[in-house]
Amino acid sequence: MTEAPRKPQAFILGESDDTDEPIRKVKSTTGRTATLTLDEVKPDATLVTVPVSAAEPAAPRRWRLVTLLLSAVATLGVMWLGMTLTELIEAFFARSQILGWVAVAVAATASLAAIGIALREAWGLFRLRKIEVLQDNSSRAINLKDRSSAERAYGDLRDLYQGEPQAADALAKLAAQATDIMHPEDRLKLANRLLLEPRDAMARQIIAKRARRVTLLTTVTPAAALDILFVAAQNLAMLREIAALYGGRPSSLSTLRLARMVATHLAVTGGLALSDSLMQHIVGKGLLGRLSARFGEGAVNGILTTRIGLAACKLCRPIPKSEDEQEKLTDMIRELLTIRNGQSPQP
Amino acid sequence: MTPINIWDRSRLAAGGLRDFAAGIFDPTLRLGVTGLSRAGKTVFITALVDALLNGASLPLFETQARGRIRRVYLEPQPDDSVARFPFEENLATMRGVNRQWPLGTTRLSQLRLTIEYEPQTMLSRNLHGGSLHIDIIDYPGEWLLDLPLLNQTYVEWSKATLDASDIEPRKSLSGAWRRATETVGATEPANELKAVELSDVFTAYLLRCKQSDISLSSLPPGRFLMPGDLSGSPLLSFAPIRTDTEAVLRTGTMANLMARRYDSYVSHVVKPFFFDHFSRLDRQIVLVDVMSALNAGQAALADLEKTLADVVSCFRQGKNSLLWPILGRRIDRVLFAATKADLVHHHNHDRLEDILQTLTARASSRAEQSGAAIDVTAVAAVRATREATVKQKGEELSCIVGVPEKDEVIAGTSFDGQLEAAIFPGDLPADPANALSGACEGKLQFVKFRPPQSSARTMPSIRLDRALEYLLGDRMS
Repeated sequence: MTEAPRKPQAFILGESDDTDEPIRKVKSTTGRTATLTLDEVKPDATLVTVPVSAAEPAAPRRWRLVTLLLSAVATLGVMWLGMTLTELIEAFFARSQILGWVAVAVAATASLAAIGIALREAWGLFRLRKIEVLQDNSSRAINLKDRSSAERAYGDLRDLYQGEPQAADALAKLAAQATDIMHPEDRLKLANRLLLEPRDAMARQIIAKRARRVTLLTTVTPAAALDILFVAAQNLAMLREIAALYGGRPSSLSTLRLARMVATHLAVTGGLALSDSLMQHIVGKGLLGRLSARFGEGAVNGILTTRIGLAACKLCRPIPKSEDEQEKLTDMIRELLTIRNGQSPQP
Repeated sequence: MTPINIWDRSRLAAGGLRDFAAGIFDPTLRLGVTGLSRAGKTVFITALVDALLNGASLPLFETQARGRIRRVYLEPQPDDSVARFPFEENLATMRGVNRQWPLGTTRLSQLRLTIEYEPQTMLSRNLHGGSLHIDIIDYPGEWLLDLPLLNQTYVEWSKATLDASDIEPRKSLSGAWRRATETVGATEPANELKAVELSDVFTAYLLRCKQSDISLSSLPPGRFLMPGDLSGSPLLSFAPIRTDTEAVLRTGTMANLMARRYDSYVSHVVKPFFFDHFSRLDRQIVLVDVMSALNAGQAALADLEKTLADVVSCFRQGKNSLLWPILGRRIDRVLFAATKADLVHHHNHDRLEDILQTLTARASSRAEQSGAAIDVTAVAAVRATREATVKQKGEELSCIVGVPEKDEVIAGTSFDGQLEAAIFPGDLPADPANALSGACEGKLQFVKFRPPQSSARTMPSIRLDRALEYLLGDRMS
């Protein structure tokens, strides 16, 4: 034993039907007094939140010439903007005092808005990072059966959805079970069922909705160039919806980052989804294509959207699913064919 | 002569076929609750039935947590020759005014629990509409010790028993019996009275070994410890003597008489017990009382380890092949559970599981090699304690709070069964090898508690839901 062995002891509390005071003075059998605290809901006491930087090894940053050039140009741009603004306001002041103040007020509003946007973007990226840390912890908990990771992931998951009205019910259930003794990995499983599984169903509806829309738009759009735009817009909107659903804060930068991750993911796994592409081939060039060339293309675009959506789900879901639980394209077909009237999923 | 013969195997196969035919429309799961005496089988079964019947909160038992269970009820058990498991009485004993644990089981009993649930597959919806019978058997844990006898002859068994009694702590306990044995020659003419006398002394030795301060486990034959309805029967009047095959084969000798009785015991007592109730199990939970063994010390732990390995190897574990209707069904999931986990603070549960894993390493590796799934967990079917932290001299002790049973002793204090107390049982060792090698002897003291006072619909438990999910979950998906 590494720690010094501690002797067995008893502390007398009194008759069993005494009051349930949480803290009281007790006497040990050796005659010493001690303080006793009944352990009630205290699952978070041992949780440690890892700082983002510690959980993810930072990539070595190298000062490249391109970076230098870009930052120099950007700085120059900002300087130019500042100078132009100052000159503009001065010009207004020269014209009339009132106009000058109005210009100052407008400029201030604009810069406040800019700061707000920047903060939101940063917050969005931070949330995305947080989900990545959570994914890292929960996959370590699942794969390596690491209990401390499971504990961290459970705490982070609860934090992530704290204050969300639609998660309130699930969070209350989790809190009610906090006094039950269970392994951290089981607790994580429970959180997965209560917090994430309802979201999975919603995510499938989102994907189906967007995929149908893409199919329709591609079929009816007259120009080929236009439908590329439509498809791109629909896909980005879908990414935002899915990210928001799983607890991300969709902002432009984080959506772009997500889009890049999805693209990478599809490129990596693309070769594996052979059966999927085979289906794409048959649908696109086969029966549907014979019926109408445009409709065939629409179907292919719809399938592409579905694939992007599934990849996005995989990247956004805080607890990764195991290989056999993951939805495949073929599982989505039923969802695609059921049209839910009136109740479009809202994150 | 090997005691398991071709006739037994065909019995198995016939049973398998019958199960297969019945199971298509009326699925049944035979849950084998395996555990030596005092491991907590009766309490476990009672708590399990209570939790399902009265809808306890079982967050990890998915079928229940997702609200897919429609109805749970008790049915008359299928086997009319076996007594009904006294579920209601046991529950009343635990939850009544006096809050006592049920007394030790002295006979075989059975219970059938039926769960109606929402099936998820088309096939099961149409075949049986989503109902599952769960057959559970309760029996005296001592009888389990007989199972290894199925693979031993009298000569082998005698030799093993005599050799074991030559080593401490058995050596000092077996004095009277060994002296008596030496007066009996293997080749002397058979003498009924002498045989009975010898078996009495032998039984006294076995009973002494079982007492809680020594707490040895490997003490076959089990009916000597818990005769049930066989009390005084000639089947129980034999004892091991030092002999060889030649003396056994000669008719009219003492060895021949003993060996004949031993063979009758195996074929009339052990085989029916095993083949009627244990040969066709679907799932198995092995309950192990690690705390009592830790209390008793290293010899008890070593004996427990050996007994578990011997007993568990008698069951038919393994993956079920497509041919199972012909080959007989196998146990495809085994859960090793350290019972009475409420006797330590949950900070120590990981260590408790590690100790159990080490303790059952031999038992589980054999089952695992055969293809069965294995899991290890710490459970308390009935949680008798709450948890508390005591601060003393700047040190924090993780304690458990409950009402210790009458006459329980810790650190020189004995309890009266009324006072509530916070107990610090000591820290379980981080390295399970230390527990088994006896390095923490005297540093741990576990106290038995009375059942909890609880006004809730069902009694509190620890990880009962996890055990249920593992044992039953996949059969209801």
